[in-house]
Amino acid sequence: MKKGFRVGSNQFRNRKMIWTIGGGKGGSGKSFITANMGICLSKLGIRVALIDADLGGANLHTFLGISPPAFTLSDFIKKRVSHLREVLIPTPIPNVQLLTGAQDLLNAADAKSVQKRKLIRSIQNLDSDTILVDLGAGNSLSVLDFFLMSDGGILVVTPEPTSIENTYRFLKSAFYRRLKQSVSSSEVKTLIDGLMDRKNERGIQNPHELIKAVKRIDEADAQRIVEEAETFHPNLILNQARSKKDIEIGFSIRSACLKYFGIHLHYLGYIVYDQDVSHSIRRRKPLVLENSRSRAAQCVMEIASKLANSYEKGV
Amino acid sequence: MSIKSIKDQTYYEILEVSPTATAKEIQRAYEHAKETFHSESMAVYSLFSDEEVKEIQEAVEEAFRVLNDEALRKSYDQSHFQMVGYPPPEKPPETHGMPHGKKTSLSFTGLSFNVEEGVYHGKTLMQVRERMGIELQNISKETKISIKVLEWIEEEAFDKLPALVYLKGFLRNYAQSLGLDPQKVIEEYLHSMEEAKRK
Repeated sequence: MKKGFRVGSNQFRNRKMIWTIGGGKGGSGKSFITANMGICLSKLGIRVALIDADLGGANLHTFLGISPPAFTLSDFIKKRVSHLREVLIPTPIPNVQLLTGAQDLLNAADAKSVQKRKLIRSIQNLDSDTILVDLGAGNSLSVLDFFLMSDGGILVVTPEPTSIENTYRFLKSAFYRRLKQSVSSSEVKTLIDGLMDRKNERGIQNPHELIKAVKRIDEADAQRIVEEAETFHPNLILNQARSKKDIEIGFSIRSACLKYFGIHLHYLGYIVYDQDVSHSIRRRKPLVLENSRSRAAQCVMEIASKLANSYEKGV
Repeated sequence: MSIKSIKDQTYYEILEVSPTATAKEIQRAYEHAKETFHSESMAVYSLFSDEEVKEIQEAVEEAFRVLNDEALRKSYDQSHFQMVGYPPPEKPPETHGMPHGKKTSLSFTGLSFNVEEGVYHGKTLMQVRERMGIELQNISKETKISIKVLEWIEEEAFDKLPALVYLKGFLRNYAQSLGLDPQKVIEEYLHSMEEAKRK
């Protein structure tokens, strides 16, 4: 497995933490969470770089209350600047920098692997304590690779069937992509490719049926798949919770993932539905600065403190 | 738990509880499983087929039927743990609450969940093992790790432990034999080892 493509690979302690925020549908609150969580971390003295890689439209700057930046990732990709740090712009918030405009790379269906790796390496080398990458909706291969590059991929879901369905689709894609990267047999890779289709030729419906099939092809690859599943620990944030029942959906998703994938999904926490969120977005003022006592801001702070704790522990 | 079909899971895995869970914890886990895997559940319909959900529901009912009955549970523990070479786990008194895991209360509802399931270092591994009533010898037999190395792991005799690459493998096997999350055990053990070395 290549370095830098694992969720939860904690082999390099005391290095920067990278959290990618993805999954779910557009509108589930990923950008709001990225911006506000970044600010909370910065208030704890952590140097934060926010990267806007939203396919649907980069607008993380709006959540921070600033105008569209003059320099974007395009300038780096098109080699108008030589270092990624040159397009990382300061924000009015101390300890928070912003990098925006990943559409050029992530929109390209044929984005070259070398180009992707170069960008991922450059992101990993940014001089910052924590990097939050807002991936936006969609599950193209580039988005999946960005999701998998992090210390902790974070899925944002709202308590609605469509959002949960999309989150599972994203998680399946990321999980199978990770498995595919770990195996060596081309026959097993082809087998994994077909799994997103429930009507696949071999009739494989879930990961444990996959293991059985892979064991017949290559025992070592089957073992690699088991190990990959054991070390894949994505995180979950449930947004716009209106009731206790909504909050419990997060625990149900965790149990469903354990039964289906055999993976330990970490339920980071929930954010309550709060009118103050939309008010703050309309005013282009980050909620945690504008109204830090609101219930949603309190929830964001609680989740950010858990991320900060991971940073301190180096996990 | 690694990737297993529902048929291959123990009753404890089906209900997502430890083998030392109290009756109250089993009841709570059963209610959660019923809520999660009911046929109209938002959390499962797009991941599992109707047949798979039905199979899980039946497994949950069966697991609860056995684990909720003291005599049936004892008999299940004896047959199951003998099968894998361990003595059956000893149940803690009901007042002990959750056997492991620091509970963090979520302010909105008072609902709580595991944020940190304890930190694994030598002593905690020994405590988990002892609580489950498993002899070091049985772990050694199961994992093929020498008793001496297992003792060094538990005693945190870091200077005697083998090279990191071997240690990781030993910790993985040890964690799996106790039914713990291997990755978490490896990370936390190595972290405490680094901390100790720094001091």
